[in-house]
Amino acid sequence: MNGTNGVNPATGQPPGTQDGLSGDLGLVNARRLIGGPAEVTFSMAPGDRALVAAGETVVAGAPIVERIRDAELSDQIVPASADPKPGGRVHEGELLFEWRERWRVAGGEVTESLDSPVTGIVRDVRPGSAIVIQASGRTLHGIVVLGGPTRGRLHVAAGSDGELRSGGLDVGLAGTILVVGSRIDAETLTRARAMGVRGIVVGGLASKERRDFTASERRQRAALHRLAPYAVLVLEGATRRPLPSPVMDVLHALEGREVAVVGDPPMLVFDADVDVPEPRSDWVRVRGGPLGGREGTWAGIAGPRRFAGGVHLESGSVRFEDGTITTVPLGDLERFV
Amino acid sequence: MTSEPHAFLTIDHGAATASIALIGRVAGTWRLIGSLAFPAGAKIDVAVDLLVGRVRRADPELASSLGIADIDGDALPRFEVHSTRPRRLAVVAGAERTLARLVATAGRSGWRTTGASAETTDPLAMSRLLLDHDVDAILVGAGDPPRADERSAIRELAALVAAVAVRRPDVPIILSGSMAETIDDFGDLSSRPGSIVLAPAASVDGSSWRPRRSLTTAASTAEGPDSADGRPDPLGDLLLESALPADDPRRAIGPATQALADVLHRRVETIVLGHDAGVRAAAEPAVGGMAREVRLAVVPAAAVAPDEPDDAIVDGVLLWSTVPSDRHRIRDRMRELRIAPWSDAAGDGAALRMAAARAALVRLAAATTDFDQAPPDLVVCAGGVWSAVPAPTVALAHVDVLRRSGASQYALDHARLLGTLGAIPDEKERLAVMSDLVDDLLAPLGSVVIPSGLRSGRSAGSVLVHVGDGVSELDLVPGGLELVDLPPGQTAVAEFRFRDRIKLGARGRHFAVDVAGGLGGLLVDLRDVPLRLPDRADRRRDLLAAWQAALWQGSDL
Repeated sequence: MNGTNGVNPATGQPPGTQDGLSGDLGLVNARRLIGGPAEVTFSMAPGDRALVAAGETVVAGAPIVERIRDAELSDQIVPASADPKPGGRVHEGELLFEWRERWRVAGGEVTESLDSPVTGIVRDVRPGSAIVIQASGRTLHGIVVLGGPTRGRLHVAAGSDGELRSGGLDVGLAGTILVVGSRIDAETLTRARAMGVRGIVVGGLASKERRDFTASERRQRAALHRLAPYAVLVLEGATRRPLPSPVMDVLHALEGREVAVVGDPPMLVFDADVDVPEPRSDWVRVRGGPLGGREGTWAGIAGPRRFAGGVHLESGSVRFEDGTITTVPLGDLERFV
Repeated sequence: MTSEPHAFLTIDHGAATASIALIGRVAGTWRLIGSLAFPAGAKIDVAVDLLVGRVRRADPELASSLGIADIDGDALPRFEVHSTRPRRLAVVAGAERTLARLVATAGRSGWRTTGASAETTDPLAMSRLLLDHDVDAILVGAGDPPRADERSAIRELAALVAAVAVRRPDVPIILSGSMAETIDDFGDLSSRPGSIVLAPAASVDGSSWRPRRSLTTAASTAEGPDSADGRPDPLGDLLLESALPADDPRRAIGPATQALADVLHRRVETIVLGHDAGVRAAAEPAVGGMAREVRLAVVPAAAVAPDEPDDAIVDGVLLWSTVPSDRHRIRDRMRELRIAPWSDAAGDGAALRMAAARAALVRLAAATTDFDQAPPDLVVCAGGVWSAVPAPTVALAHVDVLRRSGASQYALDHARLLGTLGAIPDEKERLAVMSDLVDDLLAPLGSVVIPSGLRSGRSAGSVLVHVGDGVSELDLVPGGLELVDLPPGQTAVAEFRFRDRIKLGARGRHFAVDVAGGLGGLLVDLRDVPLRLPDRADRRRDLLAAWQAALWQGSDL
């Protein structure tokens, strides 16, 4: 803590404690490292058929939705004795609405099933909209998921600041979800899918790589054959930065275990019985700025300071692992809870 | 020392920024004692302790008189408002023109919109749109009377939406214009948890909602052929009420602006650039006890950091950027700004924020052209994005975009009190508190005078600034900015003598304008109306940086 005689010069107060923390550490943005059981939403479109009902228990790998690949609209006469209503089903597909004594129906011939990547309880089934499953286990939240959902064995392929290149992939990684460090390019993402990799966990994904991968994904989906599940979970953002060490600790603890990647909300789901290390309460990480990616311990609030560009920002002091203490804008810091 | 605190806290929980202000009773009036702005993820109680601790240290006597010398921060009464993320509205109509009007109205009423018309979208795609689980409400509309091109589609559209209403009974549905006549298709409304509301047709011209991508910026549209006329917009009012709760600080900007106008007896415009939405409100003072109607627009598309930075948004930010970059890099940084709005705020992060704020202001102006008819007496700037940049640059950022010929004062809601005070439900109480706090809540940025119709290439005349007994004279060179040092609290008369007849509110050669000082002083803006920027990126950057450097020490990084 800054100051003398235990008094922080910025606050004029003794360094009180809250939740076992230095009091002013609460000013640093808190990032939840591990979440509890979460509700996962799987979207449905008109014509898709739910294979589960609310209240049912599903296990990972069980089919939950039969999706129409290219839904088409048709007009059908449905007898009143069939008690037709919007969202109901007939042989030709899903009833949308009645128009001029006929029913508009969404249907199609080619279907593919969506398997649940998580074990849990079905909370809600809304034909044409979504299925919501309360997933058992715990979660590690990310920023966005491209593709998916998917499930596989977690394998840490690169360190927190590493980068996986396409040459580093081989068929031995089929069925795994790879942790690839701070960044990855679209070519490696595409090659990983071709190798049978089920998913990628990465720190940052640049917009260009995201665009290229999404275009590739769209082309693949346009093909008639069914694709294996594949998802890219982005944990940090759009620029390259090392994965935080508390996050890497969790991922190392999950190595070799079955995990799921889901998109809504974007997160990694894993079994509750995994013993994951808890982060130090005073551990902070510099999220952005010239010191982005560095980590250390909180050394107290430093008050408003002038930074590059002539801007004045509230700041805090951080003691880095090499022993140096540096003042960093509070907005650049995050802590893990 | 008193036993009960004579102070309270106001807390504005924004999407990106949490702002705390300590209001105390001093000499019989409410005064702003101190304020702090923090990232929204910070613990409020800790920030309150920090603020109260700083007040105690800065002025122990004042702290003692307010009764906060030895109490816990959580013992202070709090008045809190919360911003919520704008919800999604699915808009459907029989024809594209009607759809454009409805989307334009909803887009400035606090909703994020997705739209489709029966003219271009088949019933399957439309069902998919309406059944999407992200949709929070549905607006279905037609003209009143229905237009010829939509008459045939209305009945089928009603059948489609009624079927969706059965499947999504919790989703509110608004029937606009002649779609109200189809309410019988929706069956028994009493058993439905989500409301079905009848509303008038849209009155906003959909053609005004077009993202601007040109290199010129918004100018006063009072003389333009397609200017909106500011007619009352009952559908917009209804949508705004359904989009945001009464205590949402963005909706509260309307009453707050009206209270400011009444307290100051001036025409006031408030412009808020927020993480999730831009807000614009304009009010005139009540005359003879007759209250005037405040105009309010909440535009999610004018968020500083939109969800998905598409090409138009990225190009808009690039247009205003003062640091070299490319589209990919700007898109990445805009995504980062969305994810962590307080991160990387120094260095070229501050320049990015200025560019993103100007681009958001362009989008806000494009959605609210009816606000641009005449410059108000006072423009109040607000929003968390201004927390991290020097205050004198804020007025410049606004006049870069809003090119209105005339003279206005600019002020900054530095403690973000407007959204909180505007949420005080009782009008008289709101007016009383605002009356006490008006001198504290607005940080004067200065006065801006924008003449238009100047001929380029030679001196346009001169300005004499009379401050007390002193006079200073400046030559007026078209195309540039002239700064006159006029500190906060100082007033002056600026006497303009132009060689030719120009427009400054009215047309003429000689003008005398009362001006007030501020952190940026008096700014005489002799640039084009509308502003024309060079096509070449490097020249544009240099020009923008040069204009900005005059008001931002250290902006060269």
